[in-house]
Amino acid sequence: MDFHKDILKLDCRSEVERICSFIVQQVREVKRDGIVVGLSGGIDSALCAALCVRAMGKDKVFGLILPEKESSPISAEYATKHAKELGIETETVDITPTLEAFGTYQKRDDVIRGSFPEYDSASKSKITLPADLLSKDSLNFFTLKIDDGNGNVKTTRLNKKMLNGIVAATDTKQRTRMMHLYYYAEKTNYMVCGTTNKTEVIEGFFVKYGDGGVDIEPLSHLYKVQVYQLSEYLGVIREIIERAPSPDTWSFEVNDEEFYFRIPYAKLDPLLYAWEHDIPTERVCEVMDLTEEQVNRAVRDFNAKYRATKHLRQLPPTLE
Amino acid sequence: MDTVSKVREYVVENFLFGDGESLREDVSFMEEGIIDSTGILELLFFLEETFGISVEDHELVPENMDSLRSIAGFIDRKLNGSSAAEA
Repeated sequence: MDFHKDILKLDCRSEVERICSFIVQQVREVKRDGIVVGLSGGIDSALCAALCVRAMGKDKVFGLILPEKESSPISAEYATKHAKELGIETETVDITPTLEAFGTYQKRDDVIRGSFPEYDSASKSKITLPADLLSKDSLNFFTLKIDDGNGNVKTTRLNKKMLNGIVAATDTKQRTRMMHLYYYAEKTNYMVCGTTNKTEVIEGFFVKYGDGGVDIEPLSHLYKVQVYQLSEYLGVIREIIERAPSPDTWSFEVNDEEFYFRIPYAKLDPLLYAWEHDIPTERVCEVMDLTEEQVNRAVRDFNAKYRATKHLRQLPPTLE
Repeated sequence: MDTVSKVREYVVENFLFGDGESLREDVSFMEEGIIDSTGILELLFFLEETFGISVEDHELVPENMDSLRSIAGFIDRKLNGSSAAEA
């Protein structure tokens, strides 16, 4: 198989047609009346909404905007603006009370206070993996970073118990959103549209029964850089296209690369393609101007994440 | 019990469900899928507790952590370094 610099370049027109046909076919197959998209203010959900409108018409697409107190304020603003441009109806539901009732913030903060007793409601937190895998090798370990609200940052390496405690609490944000999406979808006989792209699917960058709990995945065959191509083609608003991709679930701002991927999308996606298609390392080095050690490092990381998240991509195993 | 044996016992019991007869000293934990990223955190805790060492972030690289042999070498270097520093 060939590998070159433009390997991920799409014929946007035909790809949009293909995805729209898929959406229509799936909605018909399950006899639904339309499709609901959770609009996060990010590029994946913005593209999904644009594709659904192109496929079904604006009257059969509904946008749910589901912010919480730690979401970036511009997320809901951009989501609303994009929805207006598409002409779709939206509803905004603040999920903070639901998360507070469950104890999401309390459970997470209790874990954080195990290391930083001073952590309070003015503080912000995030977790990150070591930066820039291609420049500097290291294993995947998460670091908790807190900001006291005045720009004073403290960090600590997380052990397994702390990591699991923080992630389990934070993942309830995506699962609460899934609950709202299905409430709306069932009430109106709509499908729930997923927004996970291929980069995220391969590396396991989604929450099982959270943002992974959906009826249809129109983007799961597209790498993130291809999501950008189609977004440009369909006229997603500039604010969203130019925004740094982020999980937007941490009060201390963090982008996808520092949180999980460790490689910028422009390099990550071609490397993932090469990994997926068994492109010889020598060829990858030549095309991407990387050393053999850098490519091997990326491959090691892909293998580790793909294997560790295999269960996320599967239905629960059953006996025959 | 030597360093390799102690680490082997821990890895076999915690990551291989007791079935570790074929675990050679040079087998890559990551390439073989024996230990994932959260497993590394568990292993790290074990190493720090058992050998009384403190592992810095910059030391969390495959060269130090990816096989029984590399871990044993790393621990020996840490312990010898500590002894030398104290002497």
